[in-house]
Amino acid sequence: MAAPGMATKKRLIVLLSVFTISVFALIGRLAHIQFVQGYELQKKAFAQQNTGRVISPIRGTIYDRNGKKLAISVQAATISCNPNEIAMNKKLTVREVAEGLAQFLSMEEDEVYSIITKKVNSAIIKRKVDRDTEIQIRTWMSENSIRGINIDEDAKRYYPGGNLMSHILGFTGDDNQGLMGGIEEVMDKYLRGVPGKILSEVDARGSAVPSEREKRIDAQDGLNVVLTIDETIQYLVSKSLDKAIADNKVEGGAVGIVIDPNTGDVLAMVSKPDYDLNTPFAYPGNIELEGMDPEEWIERSRETVNILSKTVWRNKAVSDTYEPGSTFKSITASAGIEEGVVTADTITDDFPIKVAGWPKPINCWRVGRPHGTETFREAIYRSCNPAFVKVAQSLGIDRFYSYLRAFGTMDKTGIELKGEAKPQFQEKPKEIDMAVASFGQRFTITPLQLATAYTAVVNGGKLMKPRLVKELTDSEGNVVTRFEPEVVRTVISKQTSDIMKDILEGVVADPRGTGSNAYVRGYRVGGKTGTSETTREGVYIASFCGFAPANDPKVVVLVALFDPRGESHMGGVIAAPVVGKIIEDTLNYMQVERQYTEEDLKSLAEMVLVPDIKKKTVEEAVKELRAVGLKFDIEGEGNTDSIVMEQMPKPNAAVPEDSVVILYTYRPDEPKTVSMPDLSGKTLSEAIYAMNRIGLNIKVSGRGTVFRQQHGPGTMIEKGTVVEVEFRNLDNVE
Amino acid sequence: MKSKKPFDFLLFMTVLILLSLGLIMLFSASAPLAEKESGNIYYYINRQLIFAAIGMISMLLAANYDYHKIGRKTVWAMLIVSVVLLVLVLIPGIGSQANDSWRWIVIAGFRFQPSELAKLALILFLSFNLSRRRRPLETFFGDLMPYLFVLGVISVLLLLETHLSATIIMIAITMIILFVAGAKIRHFAVLTVPVLLTIVAVISFTDYMTPRINSWLDPWSDPRGSGYQTIQALYAIGSGGLFGRGLGQSMQKFLYVPEPHNDYIFPILAEELGFVGVLAVMLLFLIFIWRGIKIAVHAPDVYGCLIATGITALIAVQSLFNVAVVTNSVPPTGVSLPFFSSGGTALILFMTEAGILLNISRYSRYERI
Repeated sequence: MAAPGMATKKRLIVLLSVFTISVFALIGRLAHIQFVQGYELQKKAFAQQNTGRVISPIRGTIYDRNGKKLAISVQAATISCNPNEIAMNKKLTVREVAEGLAQFLSMEEDEVYSIITKKVNSAIIKRKVDRDTEIQIRTWMSENSIRGINIDEDAKRYYPGGNLMSHILGFTGDDNQGLMGGIEEVMDKYLRGVPGKILSEVDARGSAVPSEREKRIDAQDGLNVVLTIDETIQYLVSKSLDKAIADNKVEGGAVGIVIDPNTGDVLAMVSKPDYDLNTPFAYPGNIELEGMDPEEWIERSRETVNILSKTVWRNKAVSDTYEPGSTFKSITASAGIEEGVVTADTITDDFPIKVAGWPKPINCWRVGRPHGTETFREAIYRSCNPAFVKVAQSLGIDRFYSYLRAFGTMDKTGIELKGEAKPQFQEKPKEIDMAVASFGQRFTITPLQLATAYTAVVNGGKLMKPRLVKELTDSEGNVVTRFEPEVVRTVISKQTSDIMKDILEGVVADPRGTGSNAYVRGYRVGGKTGTSETTREGVYIASFCGFAPANDPKVVVLVALFDPRGESHMGGVIAAPVVGKIIEDTLNYMQVERQYTEEDLKSLAEMVLVPDIKKKTVEEAVKELRAVGLKFDIEGEGNTDSIVMEQMPKPNAAVPEDSVVILYTYRPDEPKTVSMPDLSGKTLSEAIYAMNRIGLNIKVSGRGTVFRQQHGPGTMIEKGTVVEVEFRNLDNVE
Repeated sequence: MKSKKPFDFLLFMTVLILLSLGLIMLFSASAPLAEKESGNIYYYINRQLIFAAIGMISMLLAANYDYHKIGRKTVWAMLIVSVVLLVLVLIPGIGSQANDSWRWIVIAGFRFQPSELAKLALILFLSFNLSRRRRPLETFFGDLMPYLFVLGVISVLLLLETHLSATIIMIAITMIILFVAGAKIRHFAVLTVPVLLTIVAVISFTDYMTPRINSWLDPWSDPRGSGYQTIQALYAIGSGGLFGRGLGQSMQKFLYVPEPHNDYIFPILAEELGFVGVLAVMLLFLIFIWRGIKIAVHAPDVYGCLIATGITALIAVQSLFNVAVVTNSVPPTGVSLPFFSSGGTALILFMTEAGILLNISRYSRYERI
């Protein structure tokens, strides 16, 4: 057979050439992939191979200004799974795994099943699982040698105060991110920290590669946030508001704000109704929901979330605007005095004033009992509307509103909370708008904006930016960032501020003042009442904005009660005493020394402690009682040598001088009782007489005439009992 | 009778190195899959070692079996057996299916792939008949048509299996053999017309190629679907760099790269051994091709020349095609890498074919250096 010819050989050489070129072309292609595209491809491959599990960082703690913990993170676990590995369990079927997990986690079995059969490498079954459950699951897993379930540390947020800080803090969502516009949300970027990761190289089906390649990148914990809030003051305000709401049948909620006027530090900010931060989605037991059965409450449903965000989740202190009413007169007065259009001693009057664009003349609120000519100081004491209209008119629209803007009442304060409402003013105010604005009507601002304006009135004229966050600290407690108090602008001079403090102290201290119910013995309280109308007939907002001590204010306190349905809706009657109480408690707590007036000392001297006279002879007992200025009444037979078996009031009770102590010369089976008289409308001396006459004692609060008595008329009570009686000035207060 | 010489030692060594490297890589690449599928990481390598042993014996037998003894009866018998098996494989119950293709017949627990046998049968059939011709390949219809008819029958059967890559390889080796056998260049030009028409028709009228073309042009358009295997292969190759992650250190073999033990073994090799390893393998194949062509050139007769050409072309086309697919240089289709990919029929037959090549080298008309 013939050997291949030249033509064949040539064609074979062509063939070899083609193959050789192909080989080198492919080598070139490989080099391109490995060297030119290599980095990108490697990165993508790495990302794909390292679908790690996240280690949640520990969220920072939120402290109050004294280091009390307001929000803490407690250990919890996140249960996740690797559906591919779960399917490979030998001992249990996927169904059985779902059943077990559902039981431990109190979830629906079908829900768990759908998660653990997802076509992904990793799926989260449940977050924020507590320690006990975690241990149960771990035990169950090892007993049944279950693979494919991962338990990673996580943190659950806990709020020791429950309801106390609800609106300041807000709560966190499933991913531990802050919600509700509170500090948790606003400071989230600091609190959150940086998540870590467990990097285990995984194959395409998601099971971990068998090697020591598991890498751990530790989470970086979040920073702690230190607030300006003082938990104790917050508590005092909250309790006072609760009582005020109950006493005055307040239906629309309440706001209480305490600010340090010198720094703008918000020491307390309470909005009622509130909610428990630990169970934010639960049925709100503290409000009335018509047609809403607690049984039918579905947590996190659109409907219930909607209800919650309109009610208990709402921070009325920053999100709701209202007409400030007469509390706003301090602003008008400050502007007038600063501009020299009026002084404290300028003579003015309460004659009804006619303003263009309004059919009826503007009257003083006590139009039935006119007071005629008066100084401007007296006009403020009496909260006389025409006097303020005149001041505003002297200022003119431009100057008047420029002061309103300077006092910050036309802008948001910029506090570290989301959802702050913008004040609502007429765009182009007319004469009549200004006239009614001079006494706080026909525009709306938030309670916080009003309280903030007061800081400038009383601190020497500087408008402070209200603030909630003092500093950020790291896990060792080192201060990372300190936020300094911020002066927004100087609004009025120190002289004007001093005059205003003096006048506003008079509003409370002077017998003619409308704010006398805010009076606190020993603390010089200043302030201004307010009773606002709303767009709804018969719905009022009773408020009082006070400060103390008047000569060197440490706190500005605003209380607003929305829609009170009790005996009175007047700010001077129902809000002023709440502010008085908050100021007394707060300054007492802050250990501000009391400065007693002579009148205060006199009334204080009247209080005595009941001595312990049991087991003494009647003669000795009477001597002791007389020595401290107490009267006595002997129950039972006996002479001066008889032994006192029982006494009422008990030893060491503080009672006014001249109170009656009942001495029993026998051991009473049942104490003697008397019928409680009706004290309403009585003056202090009338009330004391009526009580002591039948062997009852009185504990006085407030001034004026009897407003409320602890026990209703006709109630049978033990002789010698000290009965709390509230006095109020009802005559002059607005 | 011609004098017998020792066979081409360089080719023999090249085959041994490729086979050894292939076995090592197969073990590394198949271990995770084997563990996942059977719990035994040695599953694939154990089988492959058995096939390699059979292949070695088969290669040595072939190297010592005078290829001239492969006569008319043998080539016809092989062709007919191949065609019958290719028909049988299409019958459900006899043929077994994988990935929507009918490619195997299960015999005693081992899967036999008739298309691999058909490749050798076709090479031998064409080489035998072309070498027995007295006239040159003058006319298209008179001279070329019988060979193209045989190719056509096999191609149609393979297409029915939906075994496109095998079809392409059959066409390629037939064309190469005809080219070397002296077919007119203009006849190839004529041939390209129906081939192009077929390709256009397949692309436009069936959905078979559409996703392949799309994923070839932009694998990232469907990273979890048609582009998945290409992307995973590129990740693996790209992760290799110059020296690779090291033997056994591939991450992509952990079930990311589909068929890491089979069609996609080369990316795993690229990932573990890097560009250096890739270059070595490519050069080993080039040495194989060079020696194969050299054997063809020096063959004592046209029969030996054409057989050597066919076998060399088969291994060259298949290996280059495989690398082209995994580097996304051509649209993806399943083609295995000779000496590397898992698969008994293919390995044994490749070894046998290498043996035949070695046998031809023993009758070389030139002294070897």
